[in-house]
Amino acid sequence: MATSTYLSSPVVTVNAVDLSDQCTGATVNINFDQLEATAFGDSSRKYVSGLGSHSVTLDFYASFAATETWATLKSLVGTSTTVVVKPTVGADSATNPGLTFTGTFLAALPIVTALGALGTISITFNGGVYTSDES
Amino acid sequence: MSYLIASEKLGVIGEPFIPKDGINLDALLAGGFIVRAEVSTTEEEKPAKNKPKKAPKE
Repeated sequence: MATSTYLSSPVVTVNAVDLSDQCTGATVNINFDQLEATAFGDSSRKYVSGLGSHSVTLDFYASFAATETWATLKSLVGTSTTVVVKPTVGADSATNPGLTFTGTFLAALPIVTALGALGTISITFNGGVYTSDES
Repeated sequence: MSYLIASEKLGVIGEPFIPKDGINLDALLAGGFIVRAEVSTTEEEKPAKNKPKKAPKE
């Protein structure tokens, strides 16, 4: 049985900045509105694809060091950018697709801190155009 | 306007940065990831004219 195990090598770039070494989780949702197209004469319901409605949720450590998480994200909140998530390092290919979301919107930048724990930032990019770069 | 990479998180420092579609350049500038490539606006100094003096006719 074929499976994918994500241990330590996925690649996450936000606005072209490689934040893989600060990232601990990524959830990619590729969704399209489901539009009913059933008509008289059909014996079962039929659907066609509507607008894309994608999202990417990323979990980061809250590093305030130069050119790290905070420096990357602070100016992106309230704007659109490009986010890429890849299963592993290396060139794009059919088995290592670059899941790319162009023009995806960052609405909020929540920072979670607690005594004795590393700060974290969990953000969700919504919308944008989805492509799977395989070459 | 052209830009140079200023952080290894973006690529090789000092190399030109060619943004792909959807990249927010203002955010990269604000975060110190890229810098504007400086373009000289002054003309290069022309070399001084040093014509050799003609030898006096004998």
